[in-house]
Amino acid sequence: MVRRVKNLLKTKHINLSHSATQKKPSDKQATLTYTINENIEYFRSIYANCSDVVFRPILIGGVIQAYLLYIDGLANVEEADEQILNPLMNSSAKNTNEMMNMLENKIPVTNLRKLSTLPECIDSISTGNPLLLCDGINIGYSLCLAKWEKRAIGEPTAEVGIKGPREGFTETINVSTSQLRRIIKSPSLKMEELFIGQLTKTKVVISYIEGIANHNLIEEVHNRLERIKIDGILDSGYIEELIEDHPYSPFPQILSTERPDVVCSNLLEGRVAILVDGTPFVIIAPTTFFSLLQSHEDYYQRFPISSAVRWLRYLFLIISVLLPSLYVAILTFHHEMVPTALLLSVAASREAVPFPALVEALMMEVTFEALREAGIRLPKQVGAAVSIVGALVIGQAAVQAGLVSAPMVIVVAITGIASFMIPRYAMGIGFRILRFPIIFLAGALGLLGVMMGIIAIIVHLSTIRSFGVPYLSPLAPLKGSELKDTLIRAPWWKLKTRPHLTGEYNKNRQSPGLKPDPSKGGE
Amino acid sequence: MKRFFLSLSYFLSIFMLSGCWDRVEVNDIAIITATAIDLTEDNQIKVTAQVFIPRALSGGGGLGTGGGDLTLTRKGTGSNLADAVSKLQMVLPRTIFWGQCKVFIFGMGLAENGIREQLDFLVRHPEPRGRAFMFVSKADTEKVLQLLPPLERYSGEVLKELLDFNIGLSVTMKDLDLMLTSDAQNAVLPLIKVYPPNKGKMENESIPYISGSAIFSKDKMIGTIGEYETRGIMWIKNMLKDSTISFKAGNEGEEISVSPVQSNVKLKPRISKDKWKMTIKVQAEGDVVQNETKLNLMDPETIKRLENDFEKNIKHRIQAAINPLQNEFNIDIINFATEFHHHYPKEWKKVKNRWNEMFPQVEVIVDVDAYIRRPGYTSTPSGLPKNEVKK
Repeated sequence: MVRRVKNLLKTKHINLSHSATQKKPSDKQATLTYTINENIEYFRSIYANCSDVVFRPILIGGVIQAYLLYIDGLANVEEADEQILNPLMNSSAKNTNEMMNMLENKIPVTNLRKLSTLPECIDSISTGNPLLLCDGINIGYSLCLAKWEKRAIGEPTAEVGIKGPREGFTETINVSTSQLRRIIKSPSLKMEELFIGQLTKTKVVISYIEGIANHNLIEEVHNRLERIKIDGILDSGYIEELIEDHPYSPFPQILSTERPDVVCSNLLEGRVAILVDGTPFVIIAPTTFFSLLQSHEDYYQRFPISSAVRWLRYLFLIISVLLPSLYVAILTFHHEMVPTALLLSVAASREAVPFPALVEALMMEVTFEALREAGIRLPKQVGAAVSIVGALVIGQAAVQAGLVSAPMVIVVAITGIASFMIPRYAMGIGFRILRFPIIFLAGALGLLGVMMGIIAIIVHLSTIRSFGVPYLSPLAPLKGSELKDTLIRAPWWKLKTRPHLTGEYNKNRQSPGLKPDPSKGGE
Repeated sequence: MKRFFLSLSYFLSIFMLSGCWDRVEVNDIAIITATAIDLTEDNQIKVTAQVFIPRALSGGGGLGTGGGDLTLTRKGTGSNLADAVSKLQMVLPRTIFWGQCKVFIFGMGLAENGIREQLDFLVRHPEPRGRAFMFVSKADTEKVLQLLPPLERYSGEVLKELLDFNIGLSVTMKDLDLMLTSDAQNAVLPLIKVYPPNKGKMENESIPYISGSAIFSKDKMIGTIGEYETRGIMWIKNMLKDSTISFKAGNEGEEISVSPVQSNVKLKPRISKDKWKMTIKVQAEGDVVQNETKLNLMDPETIKRLENDFEKNIKHRIQAAINPLQNEFNIDIINFATEFHHHYPKEWKKVKNRWNEMFPQVEVIVDVDAYIRRPGYTSTPSGLPKNEVKK
């Protein structure tokens, strides 16, 4: 069956590329002709049934026929009126030479490109730059007047914090790259662009710092990105799935963020960022298990607090995976492990519950996941209803109805909170899903099953890699000095070297002896 | 993908296999909170179990007892403990669960007849805890379990909590097993009685309490000792961590109480010229909590004198415990055998088989070092005019 699906996919892919080539100009090297009507005819046939493409015929100096082609809404029309149509229409050019001279010298546009091939012209129109075609020349002028409605830079909604910069990326890639450039002003911050997606032609920028990032890594990112042949890229999630090392793993192997400061901190540590047009989420490779458990704020707060918060996070990570399964295992197999008084209370509250602990746990956990998912997708107006119903389902009403026991409600609630402690949503959801097989194991084999589940997860985690970096590093393989930013968050003046494996190429990030001291100045 | 489905089917088959064979829901277990084992008149073993009733605790979501009895007692009788337990299961609709039972009470009858055979079941069975506490009951064991303590939730809990205060010996199942297999092969278990209920209360509205100890020669009980002697034994066994000791101060008729007394006891065996000697070295110190006398406790001289009296008192307590053991029961339950074995293995080998004859001849020297550290929150005796205070 699997093979049949594969075949089906294959044929579909061929169909798709076939239809895509039909729309494209038959020859990549096809050029513009000297006759305007011929050119316009061609563009009209390409943009047939595209009501948003505007063909504006003009007469330059009242003599030479010309056309301005642009997409409604993508071009800055006021500017075009003012800076292009006005001088063109009022010009005194009588022949093509005079006209070309005038165009190149008297049109006040910062970026004017001469295009000769048809695909180039189409790209220019698609990106929003108006194209000027004139009779008598086989050159099209691409006027850099693209402008479209875009979202203003706002606070990143998925990664909020108390301290730290409050701006996030937007959907527009050049705004995003400019945000990075504004933080890292050095020219060694490189931005290599490429386009992915046969139909969407999405601009993708590979960003890294030359001299810090490893060449092999940059090359690897290039190779993996260039492999992608797909009709469209709508979010960096597409790319993430297409370039990651272990496609079946529940854990994200690439960090995804909408914060410029997070991207820059990773660039400074020798990683590579991939920016994708149309989405505020930038992906960063390679990444490790522990960097997915770190929040940007860890580095902005004082280090003892950050370290404590990290420990709290690790503790709750374990709780979020294991608490329900431990509850099920102990209550169905190991009653002697509970203190007597606690067991009596639990037994009393479970007395009226008609389900086995396993079913009870699954029921509640699934309900909780449903509530969480519903809460994300629902429009704001209906959102309140979900929280009200949620409080009923996971709460006193469920206990009073005799469907679940009160301790189970508490277990589910703590687990829910715990899974939200993980700062990266993708990571949290990975662990949330893993909770279910472990609950099953706990219900079938007790603590033995829980142990099997833990071992399976750890084996998996220590097997996978992200762009060549072991996922559990620096814990496995152990690198003692690297624990300064894993087990704790060492103070900044102690974080002297970049993380090894990604920052090996250029180790030192600060001069020695940065530890502040009254004797070291200030006065 | 194929591999994924294959591994998934392996995983799912866990549930079809015998995976859940020992799965028991909490709703299906009878949580035993205390057990009594006794002998019936026709020499059958009778086991009485105190079973927790979860429904009695629910209602208020675990708050308050809700009025009804928290436990019920059921009994089974059989040719041995295993048989009796299987009979007990016949009258309990839920699986018997020993894992939380922390109190085992032997009836007087069984204790006198020998407990080894029944102890074997408890030690061999995987569920009963090695750290469960063992008792011997003077009162009818069934009645002890049927008591409804006014303060605690069930009588088993009362016994367990009382042990926390160090007022009696606390002997766990593991300890008992070790005692019976030790060099002396004798045991001692705390003895429980039923506290007489207050006037106007039902007969069963009371608690069991620990009063003295039962002395076992091998696994058979041969007698009891009182509370005073029991505490002496606890001194020797170094089980007394903090206690209150009142002693007469010199020529004064009144007493001085010291608490909490921190003590450390060491046994030092010696054999010289076929004379077996045991020195019991005691170090004790404490604070004064009551001064009935007119003595001024701020005076170091007085304190020194008092410390002497304190030492004498402790000595007396220890000797009071050793006396009946050496002269009445001829039984070593205070680890002398182990100590001699460790220090004089060759000599021990010779007397090993006749230790019970040898034990009474061991000369016991009690060497006490006692200190009074602090006089408490007041210096002179309270409520006494200054001129009446004695030095």
